[in-house]
Amino acid sequence: MSFDLTPSDDLRQILDAAQTMLDTHYPVARLRDGSDDSLAALDEFGAFDLARPDTEGGAGFTLVEEAHLHVALGRHLAPPAALATAIARRIDPTATAALGFSQEDAWLWLPQPDTAQALIRVGNGLTLAPAKATETTPALGGTYAFAKAPPSQNARRADAATHLVAQVLTSAQLLGVAIGARDLALAYARDREQFGRPIASFQAIKHRAADMSIGIEKVSALLDMAAIATRDASPDAGFLCSALARLAPRTTVETARGAIQIHGGIGFSAEADAHLFLKRAHILRAFLGPDDMLEHKAPLAPY
Amino acid sequence: MDLTATQQDEAFRARARDWLCANRPAEPAPYDGPVSRTYATDWLARCHKGGWSGLAWPEAYGGQGLPPARLMLWYEEYVRARAPSTLDCTFVALNHAGPTLIARGTDAQKAFHLPRILGGRSIWCQGFSEPGAGSDLAALRATGRVEGDELVVNGQKIWSSYADIADYQELLIRTDPGASRHHGLSWVICDMSLPGITVRPIKNIAGVTHFAEVFYDNVRIPLTEVVGDLNDGWSVAMTTLAFERRTAALALQVELSVKVEDLIRLADAPAGSATSARLSDLRAEAAALRAMTWRTALREPDTPFDGSLVRLAFAELAQEIHRAAMDILGPAALADPRWSHDYLESFSETIAGGTAEIQRNIIAERILAMPREPRA
Repeated sequence: MSFDLTPSDDLRQILDAAQTMLDTHYPVARLRDGSDDSLAALDEFGAFDLARPDTEGGAGFTLVEEAHLHVALGRHLAPPAALATAIARRIDPTATAALGFSQEDAWLWLPQPDTAQALIRVGNGLTLAPAKATETTPALGGTYAFAKAPPSQNARRADAATHLVAQVLTSAQLLGVAIGARDLALAYARDREQFGRPIASFQAIKHRAADMSIGIEKVSALLDMAAIATRDASPDAGFLCSALARLAPRTTVETARGAIQIHGGIGFSAEADAHLFLKRAHILRAFLGPDDMLEHKAPLAPY
Repeated sequence: MDLTATQQDEAFRARARDWLCANRPAEPAPYDGPVSRTYATDWLARCHKGGWSGLAWPEAYGGQGLPPARLMLWYEEYVRARAPSTLDCTFVALNHAGPTLIARGTDAQKAFHLPRILGGRSIWCQGFSEPGAGSDLAALRATGRVEGDELVVNGQKIWSSYADIADYQELLIRTDPGASRHHGLSWVICDMSLPGITVRPIKNIAGVTHFAEVFYDNVRIPLTEVVGDLNDGWSVAMTTLAFERRTAALALQVELSVKVEDLIRLADAPAGSATSARLSDLRAEAAALRAMTWRTALREPDTPFDGSLVRLAFAELAQEIHRAAMDILGPAALADPRWSHDYLESFSETIAGGTAEIQRNIIAERILAMPREPRA
């Protein structure tokens, strides 16, 4: 049916099953002790082949279902390599890849025990290459450690279609991170009492939460439209993906910052999880790369 | 999930485009007074004659009975053609009063009013807010005393747009003095030519006189003009506001995409400049608002929905676009009504129909289920 934005039964079932898998294997609390984060449970779920035709060993769904799955992954701060791998499979159907970006003449990536490849953001392109670290650098207060090496010569570049897929899926994860940060802050605000009442009853907190929710709703609506347009190779896909790539990182970084503020003192301590959402937002923003928002013809441009 | 236009949809869109290009008025709309009424009713009558009014209204009431997607296709072509803003003196009739009568009116009320509304033959204004009842609408004090088969109305309304040129008013009054707050109110069709009504126009900061205060001095309204049951006016008013928060603003929302495109063309900012970054943000925001608008329009009609998120997103983006225009275009914008007039008018966006602060409270309490603040 044309013009229908209601999630299908298939999509609901995928998300229900994903929720169970994520709650079991990827609770956010797992990140507190910095344990290695395996991709095995995600791989077994079929997370990386959701949109590949069933004739090619995939699950036969589309980028739309896959985008919604990545929102759920973002909420759970799933391993960054899950995002890189889902995109890398468009370049190499068997790839498993760490997620990285370039900085001057070096590549930085988040080492992933399951793989020796990385999908690296270089300017407005993406490159899949073998990655062997020559040194490591702690980042973002030690929550992350980047592997570092000179750029590899043996690299395969993503095509234009994969570039759009990367914008959709990375933005989907960013949306999930924003929802996760907002919900964490809401749970805290309902629980925390000052002046004899939950702080969630104060307008100062409510209005911040309302602004977070408006940002989330914007990105969510735009994500659906961009994912549908990219799936269908619509002429508007480039415009919509650029808009999404512009809006999603800003929304998520702002939401995660606000979540720390709502937590007050405990938000500034590494014992609360709020900082994990902020740091993941920065990682995903760096991987997303620049948009080219003004380069596209707008859907409602004059005749 | 799908947003594919069928061949029939594309044919509809092409028909809309051709008709709009051939028929849209050449002159911009006057802002206020009787000339604004003539302009708006002429345009609506022309749309009606061409088969382009009441697109989503049921066919039984003279509408076209089209699905929401077709309404969106029409609105997108409408704003792209720079057709007159839908927020003119026909807005309340088409988007509040008409849909409320369809949902809650008697057969006689519908038969009399709906054809007049669609044909551009009657103009409506709203009579909800009072000097002491703004954000707190249920504090309203205008009264209607039942005398025989009439209501005798006394009191005052304010911020009633186009009251000076309207034929009818959707009037919310207290008809049971013993009941409090949300109880004992009635939603009444008020004929603006009745004796005892005084309209005092109010000039706004844009120099335009489209809203007014209305005073009622023993105005006698037949009880047959009550919509819904006597003393059940709050639920009828909520029906009216549900239309406002759901479908009334669809065209205005997608129109912001067109405004941003106009600003980008005019600004002609060099790549990599701070101005081009700001315009990129506005373009992305407008794209998101358009996506939210499609999501709103295509939502199943009977599902619970709170339009506060999209309402506030729209209000703040409308202001941001016009602020950016004033910042970027410089002195050229000051005397250009398309920017300076709309900039000044945009201040109402976060005040009218529930202030931004009230909308944020609604989002927090109804959507996020945060605890209510103690109320008096």
